[in-house]
Amino acid sequence: MDNAAVTTPVRERDRSKKTTLSWGVPILISVGLALLVLGPWVFDGYLLSILIRAYFFAILAVTVDILWGYTGYLTFGHSAFFGIGAYAAGLMFLHQGFSGGTIASGLALAILASALVGGLVGWLSFYRGASPFFATVISLVLPIVATQLLLSGGTWTGSSSGITGYETFAFSLSTWYWIAGGLMATVGLVGWRIVRSDAGRLLTSIRDNEERCSYLGINVPRVKIILLIVTGAVAGIAGFGYGSFSGVVAPELAGFVLGTELIIWVALGGRGTLWGPMIGAILISVASAYLSSSIPFAWQLILGTAFVLVIVLLPQGLIPLLIKPFGFGRQSAGVPELVERPSTGTKSENTDAAALRMEGVTKSFGSLNVLQGINLNADAGELIGLIGPNGAGKSTLMRCMSDGAARTSGNVHLCGRDIERRPPEDCVGFGLGRKFQNANIFESLTVAECLRMAGTTLEKPALFRRAPTLALPPYALEVVRKTGLDAKLGTVAQDLSHGEQQALELAMVLALEPRIVLLDEPTAGLTKTERTQIGDVLSSLAHKYKLCCLLVEHDLDFVEEIATRTVVLHQGEIVMQGTFDEVVNSDLVKTIYSGSHPTGQEASK
Amino acid sequence: MALLLDWLSTAGILFIIASGLLMIFGVMKIINFAHGALLTLGGYTAYVVTQLDVAPWLSWPLAFVTGIAVGMLIEFFIMRPLYKRPLDAILATWGLSIIIGQLIIMTFGREVKFADTPLPGTWSVAGMDYSAYRLLLILVAVVLCAALTALLSGTRFGVKTRAVIMNEHLASALGINAGRIRFITFSLGAGLGTLAGTLITPLSSLDPAMGIPWLVTAFMLVMVSGHSMLSLMVTCVVLGACQMLVSTYTTPVIGGLSIAVLSALILRIRPKGFAYG
Repeated sequence: MDNAAVTTPVRERDRSKKTTLSWGVPILISVGLALLVLGPWVFDGYLLSILIRAYFFAILAVTVDILWGYTGYLTFGHSAFFGIGAYAAGLMFLHQGFSGGTIASGLALAILASALVGGLVGWLSFYRGASPFFATVISLVLPIVATQLLLSGGTWTGSSSGITGYETFAFSLSTWYWIAGGLMATVGLVGWRIVRSDAGRLLTSIRDNEERCSYLGINVPRVKIILLIVTGAVAGIAGFGYGSFSGVVAPELAGFVLGTELIIWVALGGRGTLWGPMIGAILISVASAYLSSSIPFAWQLILGTAFVLVIVLLPQGLIPLLIKPFGFGRQSAGVPELVERPSTGTKSENTDAAALRMEGVTKSFGSLNVLQGINLNADAGELIGLIGPNGAGKSTLMRCMSDGAARTSGNVHLCGRDIERRPPEDCVGFGLGRKFQNANIFESLTVAECLRMAGTTLEKPALFRRAPTLALPPYALEVVRKTGLDAKLGTVAQDLSHGEQQALELAMVLALEPRIVLLDEPTAGLTKTERTQIGDVLSSLAHKYKLCCLLVEHDLDFVEEIATRTVVLHQGEIVMQGTFDEVVNSDLVKTIYSGSHPTGQEASK
Repeated sequence: MALLLDWLSTAGILFIIASGLLMIFGVMKIINFAHGALLTLGGYTAYVVTQLDVAPWLSWPLAFVTGIAVGMLIEFFIMRPLYKRPLDAILATWGLSIIIGQLIIMTFGREVKFADTPLPGTWSVAGMDYSAYRLLLILVAVVLCAALTALLSGTRFGVKTRAVIMNEHLASALGINAGRIRFITFSLGAGLGTLAGTLITPLSSLDPAMGIPWLVTAFMLVMVSGHSMLSLMVTCVVLGACQMLVSTYTTPVIGGLSIAVLSALILRIRPKGFAYG
């Protein structure tokens, strides 16, 4: 087991620094495990039963942290899954009696029902173009619907008083303590391994930059739905345990208030750390149990105030702050070794077809026609410079090539495949790679992690570990080596210079092994040297590796140097194409660039 | 006929509740979770006015002013540092609603209370007696809708507000003080929240948790309606009708859920909601 601690979003910057690991981590882990084992001899019965409940809640908090702290999906409704699990236990034992069969079917029901609801809520919440806000809104509706359904279930669900008096496991408190503690430790450890693995980085990528994810061919909605199903099922199991232990289930377990309390625990404990929310949930549950009888209103007031203060002043939470001196929250930068990936060849089935074919593509915003009937073909090995004055529709044209939903009418084929109305991730699957104008990367990931994310569609990332090597296609490796990024694999992307970020994004796009590369003003803001490097890279992509490159560029000198064909876009139409000299010397282009005087200035700016 | 009036007054009440939330959401893209607590606060203002034994009408201006004052404080101390973190801003307002709720409990206790209605009795509409206060609320909703629409589309403040909504950076570059626009809208939205609380209190009883069920309904209405007060009115009328019909033909419990569930489905199928027609 790696004994470096979990990262927090805030502290991920520190990762590039070499830190010597203190003894604090193993000591704290040992103390925690010792308390889990020795609890029954240390605590009295009352505290023990509070802790058992708290452990089940802590499991729930861990799932919320994975959703919110790591993936960026703020949910107020995860309590509903807990409630489903608890009611699965209560209803099964009350109506079917308590036996080995009902235990198994109750547990199965808890898992299946939670997963099913998770899938349904996921389908409702996550789709292409849904705002993160909307998902949060749906998460609010979920517990309210759940509670109302439980309330209107009459005697079958016990309405507002819930279900009680059913027979359940005749375990002693100590046994329950070990069951709950063991379950919590298992969920915590498995979760910890996953969020720190290569696959776990995917969650952070989604939080950082969903657009980039989908342009790396990752089906973000599907990842989120799967995540919700899995975390929902885990919450259901925790709820089942809670319902079996307490012998009472009430609609509050599925309610909105518990859902928001979870958020408070996670926020105070430290989102994006897993152990923070776990400890937060335990401490606050225990404190609530003791204080809510002695100072009920003041306790809630303190909690509410602390929550607001933490959100405003300490977004990383309280517990990371307290434990920092012990060496928690630091991580040595594990840098994988770069290796060359032999071509996977998955995208080269249709090598005969043109890399890009656009027929009659139009795009209009209301009555404004930005693109009117674009016909454009491009073959492998071509390096096309797309030029035109501002507002000619260049960027819109790029969007129409890479996102099926973008154009108003017309057809686009990538490598012989019709993109129809498909999302960017499918276009990427057909062989497209798109580099944006502003460096579109994962800011809190390291260079190596960014590059690994780019290869997700080609090589499934490991779920429980970090791969020791990072495989890239030869031309991506070339970019990484030429620009010196290979020496900065452990650096967090947001700490790179502008030019390095641009190079990183280009390397990420190339790691997709695309057959068509779209580049939006790749030289903007680069130094002279960087510009030459990019030029060399692009030429070698087209001529050596036979990729089709299409770049939008304002720098006409750059286009002259590298483009094999120049296409002029003006007012939404392709007015001319040919070699650079043909285009630049034509009267038409002079007119476009210099206004209404054909004999006026040079076309180049 | 009674059904028609029920429907219109339900729509009116929904509009009154949701308008303050829309005000804030429209400009800041932030859902003010403290809205539920503000409704409660407005309700207790009505209770205080009742206890003081002065004209119940006074609770309207009093609640509005209280809400604006509270809104100013919240905006200044809590919201301002969080504009760059909209999801955290939502959370902070939820924390605030806990604080406001607990302060109300500590001051007034948990018991259910009642407030006097400013307008008791019934009015006769087309030969039928109907609660005068509910009829009044229809009128209030219409006036509120007209006033807010006029404010947002007819005044200088409105033009600036829309500039901030459309492109905040450009608006700031043009010399519009976006911070001040936010300050005013947040305070105004909070004021509308407490006013709404006062307005609905005479229809039912008063307890410290009264705002929460309304919050989610108002929230969904705002999400569906987009940015304009008029589309919010349309949304309230349409979904109010759905709620009425579902409550009448099934159970009130399912009716209570219908707005939330329908809104979620509408948004899933048509993410823009009713915003453009």
